[in-house]
Amino acid sequence: MSNKSHSRGHLKAVRRIQITMMLGFAFLVMAAVLAVMVLAVNKTDAVLKNKVVSMTSSLSVQMKLNLSGYMNRMETIATLAFGEKESYTYDATDPNNDEYEAINTEKVISDKLFSLCIMENFVDYGIVYRNNRTVGKLSNGTMSLFGEKMFEELSKMVKDPRSQDGWFTGYEGDFRRIYYVKQVHENAVLVISFYANELSEVFDNPETLSGMQIQLVDGNYKTLYSKNGKEAGTPLSEDIRSRIEGHDSATAMDNEYLVSVNKCNDWYVVCYIPTQKILAEKNEMKRYIYMAGVIAMVLAAMLGMYLSWLLTKPVKYMVSELDNKASTDRLTGILNKLTFEELAGTTLQNSLNSEHRAMVILDIDDFKRVNDTLGHAAGDKLLAGTGGVLRQVFSDDDYLGRIGGDEFCVLVNSGAQSEEEFVEHIKNRCQALNKAFHDNSTAAEYGYQVTASIGAALYPKDGKSFEELYTACDKAMYRAKKSGKDGFTFYDEKSGDA
Amino acid sequence: MKKRFLATISAFCFALTLTGCGNDKNVVVDQTVQTEITLSWWGNDTRSEYTLAAIEEFEKLHPDIKVKCSYSEWSGYEARNQVRMISGTETDVMQINVGWLDQYSPDGEGYYDISALADTVDLSNFSEDVLEYGMRGGKLNAVPIAMNAETMYINKSIYDKYGIDIPKTWDDLFEAAKVMSPDGIYPMAGADKSMWLTLVAYGEQLSGKHFYNENNEITFNAKDFQNMIEFYGKMVNEKVIPLIEDYQKFNMENGKYAGSIGWVSDALNFYKNVIADGQEVVAADYPVIEGLPSGTGWYAKPATLYAISKNTEHPQEAAILLDYMLNSREMAKYQGIEKGIPISTSARNYLDEIGKLSGLQYEASLVMENNEYISSMNSLIENSALFNDFIDASNLYLFNKATSKEAAEQLYEKYCESYDMAK
Repeated sequence: MSNKSHSRGHLKAVRRIQITMMLGFAFLVMAAVLAVMVLAVNKTDAVLKNKVVSMTSSLSVQMKLNLSGYMNRMETIATLAFGEKESYTYDATDPNNDEYEAINTEKVISDKLFSLCIMENFVDYGIVYRNNRTVGKLSNGTMSLFGEKMFEELSKMVKDPRSQDGWFTGYEGDFRRIYYVKQVHENAVLVISFYANELSEVFDNPETLSGMQIQLVDGNYKTLYSKNGKEAGTPLSEDIRSRIEGHDSATAMDNEYLVSVNKCNDWYVVCYIPTQKILAEKNEMKRYIYMAGVIAMVLAAMLGMYLSWLLTKPVKYMVSELDNKASTDRLTGILNKLTFEELAGTTLQNSLNSEHRAMVILDIDDFKRVNDTLGHAAGDKLLAGTGGVLRQVFSDDDYLGRIGGDEFCVLVNSGAQSEEEFVEHIKNRCQALNKAFHDNSTAAEYGYQVTASIGAALYPKDGKSFEELYTACDKAMYRAKKSGKDGFTFYDEKSGDA
Repeated sequence: MKKRFLATISAFCFALTLTGCGNDKNVVVDQTVQTEITLSWWGNDTRSEYTLAAIEEFEKLHPDIKVKCSYSEWSGYEARNQVRMISGTETDVMQINVGWLDQYSPDGEGYYDISALADTVDLSNFSEDVLEYGMRGGKLNAVPIAMNAETMYINKSIYDKYGIDIPKTWDDLFEAAKVMSPDGIYPMAGADKSMWLTLVAYGEQLSGKHFYNENNEITFNAKDFQNMIEFYGKMVNEKVIPLIEDYQKFNMENGKYAGSIGWVSDALNFYKNVIADGQEVVAADYPVIEGLPSGTGWYAKPATLYAISKNTEHPQEAAILLDYMLNSREMAKYQGIEKGIPISTSARNYLDEIGKLSGLQYEASLVMENNEYISSMNSLIENSALFNDFIDASNLYLFNKATSKEAAEQLYEKYCESYDMAK
């Protein structure tokens, strides 16, 4: 292996950092966008809910005011009947009445009532006496409903002791009319009624809240009127009742319903709508925000990754350059001693016994002579050429290093399948190295043929650690030197290497 | 590098667009604007309830139109209509009495000319003779709904109980009173206007002349009014009828009234519960003086008409509503024959198709349609002031405040001051 293959390890580390940075940045950006999005949505949610509750509450109050205004107007019209003296002094049950006078008095009272109610959609507007004689207009429906118990039943509806009046509907299960009664004197009650249908104008809610259900209920939460008209007479649904019971004016919202209640006289105006319905737009908006957020997250992450890549790119280049410079012997272009020992040591430490490796040491014979006779430049040239020879003979998978002034070392990593083949392969490489060294250091160039001694040791047979293998290899190399130089030998215990 | 910069900026812009940053447009939410038109009618509970239900259905069929209703009993409505017509606040579509055409639109300018809306209101359902009732000054001011007449309803079950035949003459009623009055039962009864028209019928039978001549002048003199007042007094005193002021509709249900004078359109209003109770009620012949043919002195008129305000801001919507009220199957289904048998061919055919042309009201209509002697009513005769003055004069006589002659003369003088009298 050359310095190029060695630098891969550092670059891998830099790439790991680069990827970690890119992913980390992407994650941070996504987390930040997500956090902002969730916070924004939750905050918007809370604000929107408060606004909806507030608006519904306003609507409910408005409905109550509408009803209150409508009822007050009727009460006022009823009270105005007392502006005609005859209306509260005349008693149709008095046996001493002159019949002719009585007829004329009743006509006066009738005219007064007509003039008061002239522009109103009233079904009934008249006075009922204890003997069930009526003055003014009493509809057939009311007559049939109460029959001969009219005075008796209407009198029972007077609930307020101060103003001597009262409101009711639902007599005998008939919710078609809403009645207002006011005691005129002990033998007479004034009655005004209107069709419950009239309340559709009173409870006319805006189109944007058309899904809102509006019901008028009594103190026992029995429905007196509902906008769709079908619930009249039935109890308010338990779901709604449980949310407002005991409250005179309140608005409640949970995951199921938004309910608002307001008391009007002895009745309650209840407005409610399923939460999902009223907040449908909010959920739509939430989906939109999340969708936009996800797209923003992806874009931000991509942008972050791109910026990280841009940021780490020069670092990666610099690391690559520095790594090359730090691990390479400048003269020969192969690994320096430290790097070689580190790489070879690590490789051997992590190797299995079944793997085949070999260490080859080349030491230039009489190198000092080259320096002394031809000068250091020639020596340097020889050393540089030796680096080229090593690169030429060994493959990229092998580690090549200069470990001394004129000493080179190679860790051969790859080889044949069997031990015999591997040994043969090393022999071939040593022969090739010897020959190539010869070719590179000819007498023509250096004044004499410069030679080198080569030693080889096998892993794991000759040593397992770097030190063991190096020692064995070094010994083999010295045996080659002792045997006349310019050749190679394998470590052999029997030959005295041990 | 420039490319990279542009790409980065583009990405940011795209993200901002998605998140809606920089969007500060004003928010405008359009509400559906309904055209609001108004409708008015008079009538009893039944009519008001079914009309409200029919209008609810109309609004479903025409969600862009909102109909605001104004309604009351007859007497309240008449006064209210007057206030509105004079103040120019009348409703867009209104039920009117035939008499009001002369009162408010003698030249045809008082109401909208419906013939101008014939593209929307299907007038082919009405014959020209019928539409003539609503024509004034060559303009179609109103379209009649049905024909109507005061009718003599007899609770046959009560009459049978006393072994009395269904009365045909006034004398028959006096005879019936002799038998029924000991039990506190009246052979007939009527509200103010019905009794007024009953007494006019008697007056015409006795005098042989119509109450109004062709020039809209009252032909009756003091003597004729004296006869009417005395006849009314006799009927009250001999318990044929209760005092007009004592009339209570529920007495028809409890059997205190064995007969009743009322409009064809009142049949179900009066007797729905009685019939449901298993009693038999019939539409009898119009009572007359012995020897005269039934129907003499009695009147028929368009039950009511629908008109459109001359001041309406929404004539097209008003026409849609008018067509619905007159010709639609929906309205025909709700209305049935409550106002009498509808004149509109399509409404009438639909009622025939669903078997609603039957019952007491239908019988009363047939009595009216089949009678040859019944006259077309001059609408002026329904003026409430006219009959209220008559009732006041009658009470002077009934309660011994004046003789019949004095009361009649007082009444005649009052009429002379207020109305055109024939010489």
